[in-house]
Amino acid sequence: MMKFRIYQWLLIATLAVTIGCKKDWDQHNTVSDVNSGKSLKTLMSGINNLSKFEQLLAQSSYANILGSSKSFTVFAPTNEALIALDPTITNDTSRLNKFLANHIADLRFLTTDATDTLRVLMLNGKYNNFFGKKVEEANITTADVVGSNGVIHVIDKMVPNRLNIWEIISTTNEIPALQQALLLKLNYQGFDPSKAEQTGVDPMTGLPVYKPGTGIVPRNKYWDRVYDLRNEKNQYTFFAIADDAYTTQLNTYKPFFVTGNADSTNDLAGYTIVKDFTMPGLYTQAQLPDTLLSKFGVKVPVNKANIVKTVKASNGIVYVLSNLSIAPVNKFMPIVLEGENYSGSSHDRRSNTFFRDRINSTTGLPYRDVLVSGHGVALFNLRYRLSEMPSMKFKAYWVAVNDFQTATFTQRLAPGVATSTVFPYTTVAVNNQTEVLIGEFTIASFQQVYDIFLVGANSTTAAANPVVCDYIKLVPSL
Amino acid sequence: MKAFKISCHSIVLLALLLAGAVGCKKTFDKEPQQVLDEVNMYRDVYDADAAIIGLYGKFVSLADKYVLLNELRGDMLNYTDNADMYLRQLSSHNVTADNPYTNPRPFYELILNCNDVLKNFQLMKRDNKMKEAEYNQRYSDVGALRSFLYLQLGIHYGKVPYVTSALATVDEVKNKANFPELTFDALIDSLILFTEALPFKDPYPAGTTLNITSDGYQTAKFYVNKKCLLGDLYLWKGNYTAAATKYREVMETSTNGTQGARYYMQYKLGWNGSAEDHYISYSRAGDATSLVWEPQWRHMFQRGQDNGFDYEWIWVLPFDSKFQPENPLIKLFSPVGGDYLVKPSKQAMDYWSNTPQRPISGQTGFLPYDARGIFSWREIGGKPVVMKYLYNYINYATNTAVNPLQKNGKWFLYRQTHLHLRFAEAANRAGKHKIAYALFNSGFAAAFPPPSGVTDVTLYHNTLWEPYPFNFDARNSGGTGVPYYRADWYRNLGIRGRANVQDYTINGTDSLLQIEDGLIQEAALENGFEGTRWADLLRIALRRNDPAFLADKIYQKMLKDGTPDAAGTRARLMDKNNWYLPFKL
Repeated sequence: MMKFRIYQWLLIATLAVTIGCKKDWDQHNTVSDVNSGKSLKTLMSGINNLSKFEQLLAQSSYANILGSSKSFTVFAPTNEALIALDPTITNDTSRLNKFLANHIADLRFLTTDATDTLRVLMLNGKYNNFFGKKVEEANITTADVVGSNGVIHVIDKMVPNRLNIWEIISTTNEIPALQQALLLKLNYQGFDPSKAEQTGVDPMTGLPVYKPGTGIVPRNKYWDRVYDLRNEKNQYTFFAIADDAYTTQLNTYKPFFVTGNADSTNDLAGYTIVKDFTMPGLYTQAQLPDTLLSKFGVKVPVNKANIVKTVKASNGIVYVLSNLSIAPVNKFMPIVLEGENYSGSSHDRRSNTFFRDRINSTTGLPYRDVLVSGHGVALFNLRYRLSEMPSMKFKAYWVAVNDFQTATFTQRLAPGVATSTVFPYTTVAVNNQTEVLIGEFTIASFQQVYDIFLVGANSTTAAANPVVCDYIKLVPSL
Repeated sequence: MKAFKISCHSIVLLALLLAGAVGCKKTFDKEPQQVLDEVNMYRDVYDADAAIIGLYGKFVSLADKYVLLNELRGDMLNYTDNADMYLRQLSSHNVTADNPYTNPRPFYELILNCNDVLKNFQLMKRDNKMKEAEYNQRYSDVGALRSFLYLQLGIHYGKVPYVTSALATVDEVKNKANFPELTFDALIDSLILFTEALPFKDPYPAGTTLNITSDGYQTAKFYVNKKCLLGDLYLWKGNYTAAATKYREVMETSTNGTQGARYYMQYKLGWNGSAEDHYISYSRAGDATSLVWEPQWRHMFQRGQDNGFDYEWIWVLPFDSKFQPENPLIKLFSPVGGDYLVKPSKQAMDYWSNTPQRPISGQTGFLPYDARGIFSWREIGGKPVVMKYLYNYINYATNTAVNPLQKNGKWFLYRQTHLHLRFAEAANRAGKHKIAYALFNSGFAAAFPPPSGVTDVTLYHNTLWEPYPFNFDARNSGGTGVPYYRADWYRNLGIRGRANVQDYTINGTDSLLQIEDGLIQEAALENGFEGTRWADLLRIALRRNDPAFLADKIYQKMLKDGTPDAAGTRARLMDKNNWYLPFKL
């Protein structure tokens, strides 16, 4: 009996060890869909009504791609949809390639993935909007035909190959001429190290040396500062205005850009007009609100009744309006210079400089300011650098809190140069935490770089010559 | 023998069952056989020392639990998005019995170990394996550690079984017939009785085998301070003069020998004008960007065991990559190399941002926040992080790990500000309001100043008319005063004085409660996140019989952090029974 028990336990143990690690779950996810083994190429021939699309594929460079083992999404237009196709496209292989590539995407996108709008990257580098049973304007009639290397959606319209907004601006005559000319004048040649040919490394600095003449790429100030309208991935809404409206606006803005020659003035004023004409995101006409906020915080009033032309782009939409005017008072924003962010000082007095954290008793908000005291220099100054200052009149304010001594003292603002006497010395009262109006000053001509100085008293006495500032505010006086 | 019949089916069934259980287990792992038998464990004093080091080694593994129970239940620490439901429960006072963080078993395991060691120490003494003096020191240490553990259990569980006999397993504690649960109050009585009777209440003297340097650490600060513990017990009990007496003895630890830095600084919160100071200071007074990071206040959490450390800290245990256990506090607090499970609450941040600093002399403007907040927490990668425990791991200048794999740190248990705040709490309740005020504001000299023009300070800067333990002499005649004084406490700064924040404002006549409120707030500002917040709130709420004192603070924490059900938690905490965790071994 005892012996039998030992054998039994031995058997149990052996079974335990052999069964223990067996993978029992290998079979549970065996594929049962009959289509799954077939490539998209094979599947397509089995679908009614796609013979024309198949035939075009066979003509193109994409003849065999749908038989390959990568993963694709094909938006296949029906024969009826392709009747309208321009025969010049059919006969030109390179145009045909671009057309077809706009219907094929890398990776597999099912309609169940497109519960929110998907921007699907197509083989031609453009993005199409895919949402539910719609891709761009086409309806999906037969959805989610899954094969071994992707999925086919049958659609009832072609997906046209559109230009992007920048291509529309630069290569067509869709937008009015004056604005087009202005935007193209913002072009310049830039250097892109990734496009340049490297010939060596400077032994002294360790920096790369590039072959002269390489890496030069076209750039545009609008791409740099506003939005890069060539970007296919994002969508933008771009406004253009009719030439006469543009000219009116230009005349409004020219006085703020007084320069030595008329061309410069035109370009600067023009750029100031168009910089607020691009909005991120695509607004259809129905979605357009009456006021939009531009990247620069400017309110842009859009009257839909003024829309004279609408051009769809691959990365958004272009509206041409008969008029869209923004008043200078809305365009030029107040400039706030934080006291502690000064660009330089007349003397190195870091050891007499105090960055102070305080709570403003008037506003109840915390702030940081700068105090330079005990520096021992007559006419000590802090310099604040501004750039691209328009020619106009400004009202200047400051908040300067004297909570460090019981005596008052004086300081002044000097616009342009440190010796400027535009403003007289202003007394800094004890514990005044409110904004103080210093006065008005005018910048006569447009300035690429402009300095404002905060100047201490002409004294070497510590109690008389401190310089203190929470912020300086310049409000355009229009 | 009964026939043992198993059918083929049942064999296979059993095999399958075993397969599930055995699975891929490494069948041939073997346990090591080098185990010391109990009878050989206690042969001489070195074995006794090993037992004590073993106890503290195990004690260190309670660090994360201690910090979580005392801080996450309080109002200064909250959970992050990474925290599991059990941490969230702890923070919101809605704990289920299966919550692993609130299981008292690890405490009891260590308590039973203490009991076993105590029993064996008695046997060793009986068998003359230890000298009387050696026995007294070691027995008292282990006894005090056990009392500390019980005090923690009382604070968090209210009613707990008080077991003082050596049991083999924790499960035996469950037998309520043998070990009835004591109420918190009765527990404190028992603990005072036991701890007060311990034969030796000082730290291990220099030259003894437990006061040594090991792995680069002096062991002197590893052990529980018995007088601080007794002071705490008396304070919980409400015996204020007795508490103050115990605390005062610790405060005077170094009032002997040469009158130098140690004499005036250690546990006296004195200045020295050297790298040992722990001020909040600015290298250019008034310039917020010139806050001193090293040395000074922040440095006490980072510095090695030098004199500055020695003067500040009373009880602190190290975590080091050189020895086990691994630092669990990095995992709790750090987003760098840790799991970042808890963060400072908005309530805690507000405590610091609403406490203004002192103006520079002659000026009226001041920095509107307490700079201790800048050192206690900071943002790393957009996340608010409790920094006190991380200064040995994260470089404060770069916000990155000094060495990602070396998770060094410290478990902070007691320092001189705890001592002074609790002395002040006791003194305040004993009717010595101004002494309490002096200790947590600007020191004795500032609280008892001579009238203007008087240079003879004989009658000022002191409280010598008070009986011990409230008689302090902080007389300082200055350079020109006659007669000349440099009394024992003349360097005392006061906690807010050292931290450069304005004195606490007392309005009207009822100074008792206002000063007590101020002391608890000061504990938050100075000792925030150091593991005493819940106990502080609970002690005051119990003493005043005022559940709102505690409930409102937790309510504010949850409200400000947007934690759900803040009002429900407040309602729960208005019932004293919900102040304690479910006790389930």
